[in-house]
Amino acid sequence: MATTKRITLTEEDLIKALKNQETIAIQALYDMYSGALFGVISRIIQHTEVAEDTLQETFIKIWNSAEHYDSSKGRLFTWMINVARNLSIDKLRSKDFRNANKNQDIENNVDFIDAEKKISFNSDVVGLRDMVNALKPEFFDVLDLVYFKGYTHVEAAESLDIPLGTVKTRIRMAVMELRKQFN
Amino acid sequence: MEQPKAYIESGILELYVLGQLKGQEINEVEAMAFKYPEVLQEIRAIEIALERYALSEAIQPRAGLDNEIISVLDTPAQHSDTSGQDLPTIQRTANAKIRNLVYALAACIALLLVATIALISANSRLTEAKQQISALNLQNRKFVATVGFMKQTNSDLEKIAAMVDDPNWAIVKLAGTKAQPSSKMMVYWNKKNKNVILDKSKMVLPVNDTGHQYQLWALVNGKPVDLGVFDMKSDSTSILLQMKEIRLAQAFAVTLEKRGGSPSPTMDQMVVMGGVTI
Repeated sequence: MATTKRITLTEEDLIKALKNQETIAIQALYDMYSGALFGVISRIIQHTEVAEDTLQETFIKIWNSAEHYDSSKGRLFTWMINVARNLSIDKLRSKDFRNANKNQDIENNVDFIDAEKKISFNSDVVGLRDMVNALKPEFFDVLDLVYFKGYTHVEAAESLDIPLGTVKTRIRMAVMELRKQFN
Repeated sequence: MEQPKAYIESGILELYVLGQLKGQEINEVEAMAFKYPEVLQEIRAIEIALERYALSEAIQPRAGLDNEIISVLDTPAQHSDTSGQDLPTIQRTANAKIRNLVYALAACIALLLVATIALISANSRLTEAKQQISALNLQNRKFVATVGFMKQTNSDLEKIAAMVDDPNWAIVKLAGTKAQPSSKMMVYWNKKNKNVILDKSKMVLPVNDTGHQYQLWALVNGKPVDLGVFDMKSDSTSILLQMKEIRLAQAFAVTLEKRGGSPSPTMDQMVVMGGVTI
């Protein structure tokens, strides 16, 4: 049952409503960002129910931590993505999850999830994924490991067997490429 | 410490946005952003680029999850609770699960009720149908009996019709005696094959009790000859009643005798009599 009318607010109004604990804020956050957050979470956590629980925990954490959020230090959505990613990593590394999902390998999850799930495209950026795929792996391999798969940049460097400096350079190149595409 | 341009190009701002930096480095970046507007601007640009990237890689959660999550957040307990979320989260998830189970239970009970009502209704219809079937069976048996009766009647009537055309058959009318003036009956006698047949449809006699029976006699040269006994019943199935054979007779008579018949007729119990006309 999709909400008949999707709510969108400006980031400023959204932050205000969120800090005042107005229900409309969470509704708007969900409508605007649940897909993107779930995209991040699902690439880290393969198990759908656990991923859904983590999405719920993400929104609870956003709701409860709203008063601590400082807009001068970063954009709201970026902060939300980092909350989602950190909770997903915590969940993946938690004892309970490990017990329930023995021998689970982060990389396998990602491939599995991307193969299984339909990626829903934002109409604003349709075609981006093709662009991104065309550029892979040169620019985006490191960024994807860090941004979507829950690796630290140190882990990414080890996994790809490249120096930390190269990791930084490649991430920057990938972000530059994204910025070029969006402008 | 560093020129903003070189700082920007080091790639540290991307790591900052990606949440990869530790306390000291974070403070450093934030200090630089505070000091140099172009650093802050760069951070915002990186954020927006990565946000759009995340949106482009979105996976929509299943429909209905929004209501579950929003309902969990929109409870009064949630507003006051801003400390430690782990335990309450689990509790809330559990509550949501219990609520789901309660809904499921309610749905099951409703389904059970509907099923029970349907079963009762089906059962009463089945009973009704069974009653109809047994009624139809009874009717059917009656029809079969009726048809049997009618077949018998029809064949008897055909036989009577054939007798009338056959010159070998003599039709003897027996009239009531003084004792039973209203009684009468009909005897068909075939002189050739000696058959004697009573026509019950033309028989008018008082109904006999269980201790007595009517006995048919042939008068042969003045002597009575026994031709068998019969009952006067209102509900007999066949019209014709075959009696004993007789080769020669001048008259027929019927007396009321004890059950099984008598060796000689009780004359004062004679009810009908009739002579054979040639």
